[in-house]
Amino acid sequence: MVQLRPRASRTPASAEAMVDEGPPASEEEAEHGLLLGQPSSGAAAEPLEEDEEGDDEFDDEAPEELTFASAQVEAREEERRVWETVRRDKTLLKEKRKRREELFIEQKKRKLLPDTILEKLATASQTDIKKSPGKLKEVNLQKKNEECEKGSGSKKVKVQKVQSISQNKSYVALRLKDQDLRDSRQQAAQAFIHNSLYGPGTNRTTVNKFLSLANKRLPVKKAAAQFLNNAWGTQKKQNAKKFKRRWMIRRMKTPKK
Amino acid sequence: MGEFKVHRVRFFNYVPSGIRCVAYNNQSNRLAVSRTDGTVEIYNLSANYFQEKFFPGHESRATEALCWAAGQRLFSAGLNGEIIEYDLQALNIKYAVDAFGGPIWSMTTNPSGSQLLVGCEDGSVKLFQITPDKIQFERNFDRQKSRILSLSWHPSGTHIAAGSIDYISVFDVKSGSTIHKMIVDRQYMGVSKRKCIVWAVAFLSDGTVISADSAGKVQFWDSATGTLVKSHLITNADVQSIAVADQEDSFVVGTAEGTVFHFQLVPVTSNSNEKQWVRTKPFQHHTHDVRAVAHSPTALISGGTDTHLVIRPLMEKVEVKNYDAALRKITFPHRRLISCSKKRQLLLFQFAHHLELWRLGSTVATGKNGDTLPLSKNADHLLHLKTKGPENIICSSISPCGSWIAYSTASRFFLCRLNYEHDNISLKRVSKMPAFLRSALQILFSEDSTKLFVASNQGSLHIMQLVEGSFKHLHAFQPLSGTVEAMCLLAVSPDGNWLAASGTSAGVHVYNVKQLKLHCTVPAYNFPVTALAIAPSTNNLVIAHSDQQVFEYSIPDKQYTEWSRAVQKQGFHHLWLQRDTPITHISFHPKRPMHILLHDAYMFCIIDKSLPLPSDKTLLYNPLPPMNESDVVRRRTAHAFKISKIYKPLLFLDLLDERTLVAVERPLDDIIAQLPPPIKKKKFGT
Repeated sequence: MVQLRPRASRTPASAEAMVDEGPPASEEEAEHGLLLGQPSSGAAAEPLEEDEEGDDEFDDEAPEELTFASAQVEAREEERRVWETVRRDKTLLKEKRKRREELFIEQKKRKLLPDTILEKLATASQTDIKKSPGKLKEVNLQKKNEECEKGSGSKKVKVQKVQSISQNKSYVALRLKDQDLRDSRQQAAQAFIHNSLYGPGTNRTTVNKFLSLANKRLPVKKAAAQFLNNAWGTQKKQNAKKFKRRWMIRRMKTPKK
Repeated sequence: MGEFKVHRVRFFNYVPSGIRCVAYNNQSNRLAVSRTDGTVEIYNLSANYFQEKFFPGHESRATEALCWAAGQRLFSAGLNGEIIEYDLQALNIKYAVDAFGGPIWSMTTNPSGSQLLVGCEDGSVKLFQITPDKIQFERNFDRQKSRILSLSWHPSGTHIAAGSIDYISVFDVKSGSTIHKMIVDRQYMGVSKRKCIVWAVAFLSDGTVISADSAGKVQFWDSATGTLVKSHLITNADVQSIAVADQEDSFVVGTAEGTVFHFQLVPVTSNSNEKQWVRTKPFQHHTHDVRAVAHSPTALISGGTDTHLVIRPLMEKVEVKNYDAALRKITFPHRRLISCSKKRQLLLFQFAHHLELWRLGSTVATGKNGDTLPLSKNADHLLHLKTKGPENIICSSISPCGSWIAYSTASRFFLCRLNYEHDNISLKRVSKMPAFLRSALQILFSEDSTKLFVASNQGSLHIMQLVEGSFKHLHAFQPLSGTVEAMCLLAVSPDGNWLAASGTSAGVHVYNVKQLKLHCTVPAYNFPVTALAIAPSTNNLVIAHSDQQVFEYSIPDKQYTEWSRAVQKQGFHHLWLQRDTPITHISFHPKRPMHILLHDAYMFCIIDKSLPLPSDKTLLYNPLPPMNESDVVRRRTAHAFKISKIYKPLLFLDLLDERTLVAVERPLDDIIAQLPPPIKKKKFGT
């Protein structure tokens, strides 16, 4: 369980769903998600940049006569001033973020599940994460479940994983939204590879033609493969059957009139 | 040899899934192969190309890239956007890390094997640091506009070539920025194709980038200037894979037409120093797309949609012209997919996501030797058992009495009870499996169907007592301290007293089931065990290894038998040792204790221990001796090995009773008929 700094853009509305996913998860996995969380968040780099800004204060002015002490004081003052402004900006930004955060939370609350279920989720997950000793191989189970804490005055967003919510350990909560995105991307990738290998313009033949070509050049001629395999052409056969039936019905109807 | 009534089964509708990636490890001489259903297999090339280990597939885990890193660690990445590391000892997945870049198309390690680079759907190239027990994200490279389909690292580790759609980009590793962007020509014979996909790239140490693209070209680029140096148009279809030898004097490309081309660096004229790349040899061992190639120091390895793994030794690299220099084609898994209930004449077929139970047909007709008898009752498809969830089945088994079926996926173990009432059967799942029985690598029932032996992937062996409709856990043999090696093969003696188990490398352990303790360990042998069985009455353990050696070990005496010593002294026939598929099953004749039945994919053999062994001069594959010859001649030519090659490719063969055999074949034509369509080729005269 980790407390991320409140960042407005990273709190999408969540909808929990129960998905049957087999074994319970472990703590090992929680670390896992964290590791990955960092690179994408990109939040770690911010303070470093701001520290350096105060140092580069070099002006190409004409050399004035200044005592070292006064110059030092001046420089320190300058530095302090810059630092102050930076900090002020930062607090302002924080303020702004916090306000937006609260707005988001308010909005989200309206969409959230009833309080009782959320309460149950939170308690169950907190106790179970510590207890559950099992191992889990799939990472895609560890979806982030974001929910707001009610007790504390300043409302903070907690990012935490819910592996097993109920006593029944074969259930895992995960956000369907993430799963949908992942699935759709995977399907798009599969469609791409299928289209580029077997799509139009790829000059593919059918297996039937391929086998008959091989059979033609064989010294010993065999029966065509389509006679050996009954599974082929099922669609065509069905269509023919359907057509025939319709045709029969039509024929039976027309002479009566 | 004796006469048998044979059930010739050809309704096992098994289609292996196509090969997607191949990765060769030079250090251990092992080959990792991933298939389109997510299965990853590991072949030991020094142990006669035996498939040592396998990791079961998963529906959502379409593997697109596979590589070895940091010595012996195996990583894969796939379209679900995860990087997976495999535990090669315990045979499970160590962990999976989401790369957060959408589906992953390509992955390579740097030359020192300490960093991992993945190319993603969203155009990002991500660098991961390999730590001793995990991988950790380090940074992103400059993001590209379209998906990164191929990656290659410069041997010095300073630059990277990345193939995308319509262009190849060269990255500087230190800064992570693009140095050059080389646009690939879309034109193909004057016709503009929709787009040109760079399926594979390879970076050579002199700065040359070799690319293989969907327009059928193999192109050489200068990475320093970003210019095209040379272009070879080799096919009408896609060129899908490329692999370079370590010495960088030859490379191999695989095309969608099934042809594999060998390129070599040869002098322009004899006795000149200037060398150039020349296309030297085409090989046509595949009928469908060659999706993956690898280049070992002595051989070209290719695999593709037609499910064959082809290992083609290069004649100029092979020093000794022995049988090892022959072409190998591996199609079927080196493990058993079929189990048999002798009492009820049932066969259980294992597929990736379901099991099928068939009752064998029967006949009342009689005939003489060699006749095909008409069936009076056809084979029945009794049961189609589909697994829940996306995981593939690892192993399955039916009890000899036919009333239990057990199978396991990577996360769950299932035990079912079958009830037969006249013609209809009912299935009842035994619920509440204990928590330690998560997944099994091998399942075996005792001969009287009262005990179930399960080899779990934590290295322990469990014994369960089966009572009507439920079970009781009796004992678990824990692995020896310090070893986590998983057991892959099990054998139980017909009287139920002994259990033999073997892992992938260590010796065979024999346990006493009555006293529940380790009885002895058969001395370890250099080659992995491919099949195990314990003979009735004598309790001799017969072990077949991947180099075709067969040992017989007496369990009560804790030593090799006289016959086994005699065989080792004289040695096997040279043709026997040259067989290229491993022995996958051993069984015994109930009435003839001197006979051992064993089979591989292309023959079955009855070893008669009472007869003399063949010497290298005698004919091994003897045709049936002509009847008119005198008895003396027949006796002189008779030797212990009776081999029949009638049934092939043979996936399973066992004795149902004294006079009946069941043989399960899978003709290759039936497999081809169910593969995706191949590329159209014009054949002269058709």
